[in-house]
Amino acid sequence: MLSAASRASFESLTLPLLPSLYRHAFWLCRDHSEAEDLVQESISKALRAFASFQAGTNFKAWIFRILHNTFLTSRTGIAAARTVFLEDQPELLSVSDDRPTPEDHLIRLNNETAINDALAQLQPLLREPLLLCDAEGLKYKEIALVLDVPIGTVMSRISRARQSLRQILRPEGKEFQ
Amino acid sequence: MTTTSQAAGHLSPDQLNAFVDRELSSGEMEQIEQHLMDCHPCALRVLSATQLKTATARAAQSVAAPPEALTRLTAQLNAQFHQRPPRKTMRASWTRPMQWAAVAASFLFVISLVGLRQARQAGAVSAELLDQHLAALSSGALPEVISTDRHTVKPWFQGKLPFSFNLPEALPADTTLKGGDLTYVNAQPAAMLLFTIRKHEVSVFLTQRSNRLAVPGLSATRSGFAIRYAITPELRIAAVSDVSSADLDRLVAALAQAQSPD
Repeated sequence: MLSAASRASFESLTLPLLPSLYRHAFWLCRDHSEAEDLVQESISKALRAFASFQAGTNFKAWIFRILHNTFLTSRTGIAAARTVFLEDQPELLSVSDDRPTPEDHLIRLNNETAINDALAQLQPLLREPLLLCDAEGLKYKEIALVLDVPIGTVMSRISRARQSLRQILRPEGKEFQ
Repeated sequence: MTTTSQAAGHLSPDQLNAFVDRELSSGEMEQIEQHLMDCHPCALRVLSATQLKTATARAAQSVAAPPEALTRLTAQLNAQFHQRPPRKTMRASWTRPMQWAAVAASFLFVISLVGLRQARQAGAVSAELLDQHLAALSSGALPEVISTDRHTVKPWFQGKLPFSFNLPEALPADTTLKGGDLTYVNAQPAAMLLFTIRKHEVSVFLTQRSNRLAVPGLSATRSGFAIRYAITPELRIAAVSDVSSADLDRLVAALAQAQSPD
């Protein structure tokens, strides 16, 4: 059982992260009600496991790992896990020439709705490391800890995610002027 | 990492990403910056990648938790912070009903000596129910009977309790029966039924109705957990959970209704 000091420490570390945890949970399950349940359950698990947290290490990465693992055991997470692993499909990982084309300059980066839609279309396997990197500011090695994958896998998934985003965001037909 | 590993002397995709994500050492960053000064195509790619990263962050962060959700999560965190740790004997009792009987009997003996008033006894019952609920959550111990089928759970209690009960044919939406176990509440044998409402755990305690047990109010809140009570001609029903009061009320009402289906 945690001491009062440990509980106070847990609360002070967790409270500022609630908006980030909720946001990431939402992007994982794409449902507000489910996101709240996911964060609730993750907080409960994190409190029970707080004794295993090593002071001085990154608490955000630690609790995001608990959130990630809690999601994996949820109904939505189990369904998402059925997604084909790109690492097992080398032909899907072949990176085409990503040098900028004229379309790149017209990419709809100022259209937040378009980016949101594109993120929603990304495979969950690619979206999660990208968001941990770009939205949550975690380093590659921290993302590797959260997802429990090698750092090289993190790099390849982020690279693939950005490439997919570009393809989704490229204007079509008449939009390309 | 070398800056010109590609056949054409341009940055590789990994180098490009590592550069915009600031994952390189200061020496590697300087090498790439030098390369960008001489390579217009790579400079354009870095600019494009940086814009994409910024746009991704902005879009992702536009998702905000509803204020009421944040309030509930903060309340949960506070409740867990202020929650009194379950006593060790309480936690162990979940799987050892006989020990529980001894503890509960001792507890009753003590309160008879000091003559606690009815209201205080009711408060103790609420605390006891909450302790048992928390013990079920934190121990991870499986109940004796694990089933979502009421036709499996209900018969399991037959012969083990001095009373019987019914389970509703249809539970409220998003509510699932998980299983059940024997326990003691205030030294009375009780059926402990475990449910989930979405992802929230609910413990329901059924005891035989008697005049000995203090009658708590219809509802109580302890450490952020809601406790709901109902009385039928034969039974007392108590439910504990951190789920919303409305959801808990629906489950308790369904259980009470099932005791008098006519």
